[in-house]
Amino acid sequence: MSENLLQFASFESFVSPTFWHKLSELKLDHDRLSDTKRSISGYYINRRATGCLLEVDYTAYNSSTQCPKFSYPAVGTIYNKNTIEEFKELDKLKLLADEGEELLSDIASDAIAKDPSLLARFFILSFADLKNHSYYYWFAFPCPLMPTLSLQNEVIKLKELTQMTKFKEALLSWPSEQQNFFLLYTNGNEVEARSLSSLRPEDVDHYYFCFADPSEYEHPAWLMRNYVAYLIQKNPSFVGKTLKFLGLRFNQQLEVDDSLIWHVQQTEPCDWSQIKFVGWELNQKKKMGPRMVNMRDSMDSAKLAENSMNLNLKLMKWRLVPDLDLDKIAQTKCLLFGAGTLGCGVARNLLSWGFKTITIMDSGKVSYCNPVRQSLYTHADAAAGNLMKATTAAKRLKEINPNAETKGYVIQIPMPGHTIGESLIEQTKQDLSLIEEQVQAHDVIFLLTDSRESRWLPTLLGAVHQKIVVNSALGFDSYMVMRHGSTRYSMRDHKFEDIEGLKCIVGNQLGCYFCNDVTAPGNSLKDRTLDQQCTVTRPGVSNIAASYAVELLVSLLQHPQGDLAAAYYAHNRQESVGKIPEGMLGIIPHSIRGLLWNYENILPATQKFAQCIACSEPILSSFRKEGHAFLFKTFETAKYLEDLTGISEFKRLNSEIIDFDDAEFEMSDSDE
Amino acid sequence: MASLTWQEFLTQSRQFLRMSQHLNDKWELYEKVMPFSRDSKSYRQIYNLNMSLQNQEEPNIFLKFSQKVRSKEDLINVEYHIVYSVSYQVPMLYFQAHRSDGSLLDLEATWRLLMLEFQSRREELLQMLTQQEHPVLFRPFMALHPCRTAEVLDQFGQKSENLVLTFISLYGPHVQLQLSNGYGNSELLKL
Repeated sequence: MSENLLQFASFESFVSPTFWHKLSELKLDHDRLSDTKRSISGYYINRRATGCLLEVDYTAYNSSTQCPKFSYPAVGTIYNKNTIEEFKELDKLKLLADEGEELLSDIASDAIAKDPSLLARFFILSFADLKNHSYYYWFAFPCPLMPTLSLQNEVIKLKELTQMTKFKEALLSWPSEQQNFFLLYTNGNEVEARSLSSLRPEDVDHYYFCFADPSEYEHPAWLMRNYVAYLIQKNPSFVGKTLKFLGLRFNQQLEVDDSLIWHVQQTEPCDWSQIKFVGWELNQKKKMGPRMVNMRDSMDSAKLAENSMNLNLKLMKWRLVPDLDLDKIAQTKCLLFGAGTLGCGVARNLLSWGFKTITIMDSGKVSYCNPVRQSLYTHADAAAGNLMKATTAAKRLKEINPNAETKGYVIQIPMPGHTIGESLIEQTKQDLSLIEEQVQAHDVIFLLTDSRESRWLPTLLGAVHQKIVVNSALGFDSYMVMRHGSTRYSMRDHKFEDIEGLKCIVGNQLGCYFCNDVTAPGNSLKDRTLDQQCTVTRPGVSNIAASYAVELLVSLLQHPQGDLAAAYYAHNRQESVGKIPEGMLGIIPHSIRGLLWNYENILPATQKFAQCIACSEPILSSFRKEGHAFLFKTFETAKYLEDLTGISEFKRLNSEIIDFDDAEFEMSDSDE
Repeated sequence: MASLTWQEFLTQSRQFLRMSQHLNDKWELYEKVMPFSRDSKSYRQIYNLNMSLQNQEEPNIFLKFSQKVRSKEDLINVEYHIVYSVSYQVPMLYFQAHRSDGSLLDLEATWRLLMLEFQSRREELLQMLTQQEHPVLFRPFMALHPCRTAEVLDQFGQKSENLVLTFISLYGPHVQLQLSNGYGNSELLKL
């Protein structure tokens, strides 16, 4: 018995992203808090059909339906609710019944005969979570639950009809936009296409009830159910009669030969007053329930920006450096001390590489001399008069890349030899705690301040907490970029090649910024004139140094041994060419010292100094033991550091603290 | 090298469109209406092929086609654009695919669901498939890289009479875009 029953192919909804785009637009600009239903239109295609689709795109909301080529309109409604609760709690059965009743009233009136597309019905219940770009939706294709239809014959194809040629001619003669629902009348000789409104019940045996059939399957599309309902409701005499349905199906070449013909009969009459409706679409899990789609990837401007930005990086990975670990970069958190020319430059380069977490510490205000050199500030920032660099820079970074996590702290870095007044002790303690906390929370520390002594505390903290420390300093036309030696203990004794002419220093044997000094940092800003406090350098120097600093970090991060990667120092530059072992992105020097005067870089590598005033064991252990108390002693007098490390003994020079100018310092250092 | 000027691209695209219409195929020609706007919606279908487009210096027109592709139980809609690349002076194939719920396929999914012939050849795939901004719509689209197009088009013994057609038939199959055999009829080139 059951194999003789006609079954239908359910409609499957197919939504274009543009449908969601337009829905959001309408909700935001038009509907706002109103959730009244809205008429929409969809379409279906019977040319080389895939599945049994009912499609909607942005044109669904247009007042006049404009279907794509070779498609037919479907009439719909969208009920877009304001909250997920309303969406969930709405009485689904009642909604379906209400929609079904409307269909019945269209059938009962002459509306269908005038516009047969009213038989192709759908509606959408939806909730648009615009903040998260999520859309909850449920399609329904309402249809009265009629008595079953039994198949009277085998299903046949149009091309199997003896009068096939005449059928095709008749079909061709009928305007394609009216091919959704129409009649073919045949009296044995002639075949003629006619409109639904011309139907005469007494001619029932002469008709083929034709419809555009979007089904790919053996079964006719769902919309034939409404077609049957319409015919039987209008013509109760059709009950018990065999009705011939022709589902029009075109192939790619626009041939109709494979259209199907069903001979069906409804044996029982229908009680229209008791009629129920069906038609909710199953979700992807084939369960009765709504669907949800997240459109963040194509709608959220921040997400779009992120994808586009990552694209440049991914192209680099795909095309040039397949092993590049972009996730590692995205996950590495950077803390920048200093938000001047170097800080701004480094931060921007970090963004370019896809670093996501950038925290900046600085105590300064944006002043008029800053914007032209410091790429995160504008004249307006300076004119505002009270904007702090750290917070302004963090805000600007976020404006540039909304996906970045940026934070700025207005904070003074306590320095050796800079005595803390009684009234400031509490504040300083708080600041110290914050700085240490932040160092611990990040993976990389950048030292980008404008004085030597302000680098001391971050150097110490970086060493204590085993962070990667990248240091950059500028002279008038010189620059220095350096990675501090790691304080991580290497479990494996890394074997490094002994290469002739090269000195090899393992990552945790490399020195820090202070290792080469025989003095503790003093007050290098002391006695400077005002103009000297704005760093006097050739403008390009900071950009070069900032770029090198970030590139050095990236090379290091991509090295399998990370900050333990060895550095090689060539005694003779010529001989070293091509010999230095390379990481994924080339060699990883300990430091880069360059001079604009002759446009040259040298790449010195130096050992850790056992009596270093910032990273040596006596210093680290004193800090671990005494904490803030130790720091306050150094702030009182930097000489304490020299005594502690025994450096004082070394000094042949007078015992005064030498006041280095940064420029002099770099110059003298690069002579080595 | 088999490259073509913007005017040649236009002429050949329009010829291709006439062939498509003759074959009842679904290709369309789109023109961006406001050349200086970045609003992606401001383009429209060109119905009148005789419209004078000769004065347009900037490429603002592309051929468009869309189809459903069934792949691993997923039904996907793919929209293909044939766009002129100013820098390479060749046609370029841009495309975008979405699932039945409207979500777009990202690069990985595109590879997995659409480029079946490359399943075990990721390296090769990445030399070819890329994501970049659509030169007319200014939105991110998938694209097949144009760096070897001129060379590939050149390897065809006698010079093609319609490079746009040759291009689509050579590059389309990589992303499941097959032209029907009807396009092979040289009579169509007289259209």
